[in-house]
Amino acid sequence: MATNPFENDDATYLVLVNDEGQYSLWPTFAEVPAGWTVEKTADTRQACLDHINEHWTDMRPRSLARAMDS
Amino acid sequence: MSGNLEDVLPLSPLQQGLYFHARFDGAADVYSAQVVLRLDGPLDVPALRRAAEALVARHANLRAAFRERKTGEPVQLVAKAVRVPFEEVSGDVGEIAARERAHRFDLARPPLLRFVLVKGETPDVHFLVFTNHHILLDGWSTPILQTELFALYLTGGDTTVLPRVTPYKSYLAWVARQDRQGAEAAWRQALEGVEEPTLLRPAASGGAAVEPRKLHVTLPEALTTALTARARAEGVTLNTALQLAWGLVLGAATGRSDVVFGGVVSGRPADLPGVEQMVGLFINTLPVRVRVTPWDTLSGALRRVQAEQADLLAHHHLGLGDIQALTRLGALFDTVMVLENYPFDPDAEATDLNGVKVSGVSMHDATHYPVAVAAVPGRELGVRFDYRPDLLTAEEAERLAGRLKAVLEAVAETPDVPIGRLGLLTGDERAAARALGTGPVVGRKAETVTGRFASVVAARPDAVAIRHEGTSLTYAELDAASSRLAARLRALGVGPETPVAMLLERGPHVVVATLAVLKTGGYYVPIHHSYPSDRRAWAFTESGARVLLLDAAFADPGFAHDAAVVRADLPDADATAEEPCTGPATPDGLAYALFTSGSTGLPKRVGVAHREVVAFASDSEVIEGGERVLVFSAHAFDASTYEMWGPLLGGGTAVIAPPGELDTEGFAKLARDEGITAAFVTTSLFNLMAAERPDAFAPLRRLHTGGEAGSARAMRAVMAACPDTELFNVYGPTETTTYVAFQPMREHLADRSAPPLGGPLEDTVLHVLDGALRPVPEGVTGELYISGAGLARGYLDRPGLTAERFVACPAGPPGARMYRTGDLVRWKDGLLEYVDRADFQVKVRGFRIELGEIEAALDAHPYVARAAVLARQDRPGEKRLVAYAVPHEGLAPEPDELRSYLAGQLPSYMVPAAVVVLDAFPLNGSGKLDRAALPAPGFSRTGRPPATPDEERLCAVVAEVLGLPSVHADVSFFDLGGDSIAALRLAARAREAGFEITPRMVFTRQTVAGLLGGDDPELGLDVLLPIRTRGEGAPLFCVHPAAGLSWPYFAFLPHLPGPLYGLQSRALSEPAYRAPSVRAMAEDYAARIVETQPSGPYHLLGWSLGGLIAFEAALILAERGHRIGTLCLLDSFHSQDLTTDEREVIPELLQSIGIDEKIAGDPSAPDVAAIMAELRSRGDAFATLEEDQLLAVYSTYENGLRIVDGYTPTGVAPAPIVFFRATRGLRADSPSPQTWSPYATGLEVHDLDVEHHFLMEPHAVREITAVLAARLTK
Repeated sequence: MATNPFENDDATYLVLVNDEGQYSLWPTFAEVPAGWTVEKTADTRQACLDHINEHWTDMRPRSLARAMDS
Repeated sequence: MSGNLEDVLPLSPLQQGLYFHARFDGAADVYSAQVVLRLDGPLDVPALRRAAEALVARHANLRAAFRERKTGEPVQLVAKAVRVPFEEVSGDVGEIAARERAHRFDLARPPLLRFVLVKGETPDVHFLVFTNHHILLDGWSTPILQTELFALYLTGGDTTVLPRVTPYKSYLAWVARQDRQGAEAAWRQALEGVEEPTLLRPAASGGAAVEPRKLHVTLPEALTTALTARARAEGVTLNTALQLAWGLVLGAATGRSDVVFGGVVSGRPADLPGVEQMVGLFINTLPVRVRVTPWDTLSGALRRVQAEQADLLAHHHLGLGDIQALTRLGALFDTVMVLENYPFDPDAEATDLNGVKVSGVSMHDATHYPVAVAAVPGRELGVRFDYRPDLLTAEEAERLAGRLKAVLEAVAETPDVPIGRLGLLTGDERAAARALGTGPVVGRKAETVTGRFASVVAARPDAVAIRHEGTSLTYAELDAASSRLAARLRALGVGPETPVAMLLERGPHVVVATLAVLKTGGYYVPIHHSYPSDRRAWAFTESGARVLLLDAAFADPGFAHDAAVVRADLPDADATAEEPCTGPATPDGLAYALFTSGSTGLPKRVGVAHREVVAFASDSEVIEGGERVLVFSAHAFDASTYEMWGPLLGGGTAVIAPPGELDTEGFAKLARDEGITAAFVTTSLFNLMAAERPDAFAPLRRLHTGGEAGSARAMRAVMAACPDTELFNVYGPTETTTYVAFQPMREHLADRSAPPLGGPLEDTVLHVLDGALRPVPEGVTGELYISGAGLARGYLDRPGLTAERFVACPAGPPGARMYRTGDLVRWKDGLLEYVDRADFQVKVRGFRIELGEIEAALDAHPYVARAAVLARQDRPGEKRLVAYAVPHEGLAPEPDELRSYLAGQLPSYMVPAAVVVLDAFPLNGSGKLDRAALPAPGFSRTGRPPATPDEERLCAVVAEVLGLPSVHADVSFFDLGGDSIAALRLAARAREAGFEITPRMVFTRQTVAGLLGGDDPELGLDVLLPIRTRGEGAPLFCVHPAAGLSWPYFAFLPHLPGPLYGLQSRALSEPAYRAPSVRAMAEDYAARIVETQPSGPYHLLGWSLGGLIAFEAALILAERGHRIGTLCLLDSFHSQDLTTDEREVIPELLQSIGIDEKIAGDPSAPDVAAIMAELRSRGDAFATLEEDQLLAVYSTYENGLRIVDGYTPTGVAPAPIVFFRATRGLRADSPSPQTWSPYATGLEVHDLDVEHHFLMEPHAVREITAVLAARLTK
């Protein structure tokens, strides 16, 4: 069976973010799906996860956070 | 050489392979090759006949016959002269050609070729049908022969005009010079990590019953040119480009990124002068492995495949069978690819032969593969697909061909594209996969649970919302009670996105409290009531809650905390919240967080928003309005979402079961008394009830079951017993709000062997994707991803983990996410089927468990250095968690103590049923933990308790030695984990306690009852050694190695559940006895075997000399009409020249029992006292031998060598041989297991990385018994 494309420690990944401020690890080989922007360019899996852990501090969808905070 | 015999030659490896298959397989035509030529013009038939005769006279190998020596070794006998069959006939050439192919060659009668000249309709037309056995010639040779044949036709048979023949013999000499072991090592390395064969049609049986059908594809000239240029630019051959392309097509068809198929190679060694003009069998079909990641570019993959193939070039001489034997996987592939670069095109117009024109009509070279791909180079590259129409439809073949063409285009034109971006499916296929996975589109508007509940209250205030133990609560009452509690929570600061922890016994107050939390805008975090207190404390802290809801049952939560406690079961006199409360909840706000297992060692919280709960509870398939739904699952389990919100958001009634467990009878009564119409039960409970009371569900209209792979049989039983109940199989991870797939079984189970997971719910999309996130076609296994309604927000406070499991969805609306389940599934007949887990997460008793979490807990024990956990299924249908621990050096934790430790750390469903302490973990070839080799825990620990005071005392001693709390009187010491060292300790401790027990008695009698009962001290040296007489599975009879003792086989005990007998040399009990031959020993032992087990099938094993005796015993038993189940040889070889006289027997014998030979001193006058002292100091079974017994062992060994010298098997084994080869210390001249091939109808070779004398070392024993256990319990 193929290794899952999100579990390859030897490969490179991107960090994507959507309009709700949600993050996604993303393998570099695949096209970036619509509605997502590249937040961090190709790096190791761990570096991408570290980036996400550091930057995704409010896990509420952005629209909810905005409504609650206003 | 005498008479007509010119030469006796060995067979090439390829000839050997064909020889054995041709001898033992039934089908004739598979090994016949044929060329049919049309000859137009005035043919000189006598000249053609002379040419044919001259051709056969010229090539010695065309005159070969194949026979076996007495030793079984096959040889080719080259006749000096043969009569060349040359027949002239009339008739239909097609029919004649077919008849010729079907006419089997007798390998012993040369020549293995025939010419038939068929007269055409006019005198000027003839067809020459040339048929040969494949063992003589390959497809590359026929054009050479053809050229020579017509050259000889023109010269009237004068061979002097032709170049000198390079004889096949020179190739055989070349083969003999090759490094066989080096080749085996290279192939082993090339195939390292291949875990399963690549089969396009796994269910297909071998034989070629049908003529293959052909499909031709042509690459346009521009593409052919571009492809050739691309190959050149990358420095690879056209063949490599084709291999990569076919590998990718196979990958798409099988859902894998590591595939193997057959590649046909010419097999003609470049360093053999004249090889290109040689005639004979050189061609070989060898495994081609194509392993890619989606990140690889096409050009990078091209270069790597080329490099990997180049490394194997020097090793093409090894036969396919030998290579497959290295992998232990059997047939590695069922598709082959060949680049047909014959020396010349057989279809090309030949030169004019005195007015006769030759043209090719057909070539027949049978293949039994489902698909064979042949590429024919040319201005336009041609690709021919030969496929078996019984296995592939024309449409499927065309799809494969289309895909191959598309990949070749990509290789030619976009070499820098990552392989993961290649679209391998057609638009139609993609659309079909997408349609299967897309649920009904409803586009439900986002709502809150509280909002929906309020509208139900408004519509039906007096309807019964809750039933529990005879009491009722109306919607209005429930609304009021929850509003009062909500006010108290709000006063404590609970508001939107605020967690409230709950630790409650089942009851109506759970529903009140849950609603109350939601009304504040906060979210509930149930803590599982079965968590031990440490775990509860951890979960509470992890939840981040400052408020804790408790009830009478958990008034003391079992952990210290500084949270505000609210009793959910006590009314609060002060609270008067009269205002109707829809509160500040929002559809995207969190409704709850549930703990779910995590591989990082601790569970994580899945946060689910209001809108997803409402969407799920509104699904028109899952819920019908007004249902009375049983509330039974733990609040912390996501089925509670269905049980609570299913009825309450649809105006139905939640019928809450009484606290505690519910047995089948209780369930039936509750269902009947309360008029329950719908319920969810876990797979385990369902299976139990299906077996005990399938009719208990009869009052229900709708029954949901799921949680783990369901049983079709249990479902059929329930459907039969409950004709009015619709049964639904449900599937869904916690991360997607309870269920995402749902299927009524009455219509859809049909004759499936496993219940399908079903189809998607409303607004949900199920994606089955390959390793590059591309949809797989129906029938192919992929990993399940889920998008749409139901998706959780993520793992709270775990951004990294959330971002790797909830990932961007390539096929959804912009910005959508999908959840990666880790479940392997496939579409079959429109429904989703569960295949396996992609990781080590398993389900046991309905709970999703990550083994890593238990391993982490065990690892944390101070005594444990390494831990592993398996979900074992040692008995059908019974899955148990078993933990394995390797302690730190010098420490010896007790298994039961480790288990209690885990019980204090983990919820009960995660506590392993057994803990096994090992000295070391078994490792696989790449040094990783070999999970499959971990032993099953002690099979039988139950038995008879001690019955007498003596038994009681001795049981206590055994228990002390083994570190067990207690042992039974009739359970073997070795079954309980005892080993030889422990046996010595036991003997010592028993003597201290006043029992006359020697270490050998421990080996021979094993149980406390046995140790106290018998008084036959010579038992251990009898011919039949009953190692264990009871147990599950068939008995295994093990024949002693040369030393004559079967004691080493005690090592099998912990790994095999069934009866086990050793056969030992008679010389041990009758010192003067010397067995005259292997056969005589076999006769002796066969008689003892039949006395023990009167009828077959018999399972026999032998180590070294014992293997030869076991082999003969199998023949003897078969001659008497018995069936042989297993014949297992541990590194046994026949026909050995052991030159007994010159051997130094003592050093060898000592080595065989693991003693340094130097101890013995002068081999001709060994120092017996020193040997005895060494044995005594070792503390194993041999240490219990007396001096005269040691001498008996010596004489047995010496005699064994004498009778083995020159022994050859006397027949063909009545069962396939399972052979274990010890690969350490192999020398160039070591015999090969293949020497058994002539005496076997099947030969399965397993390599063990161990020396011959150390085959009873623990890791070897584990591998041997793993293979045997499956056979003995079948």
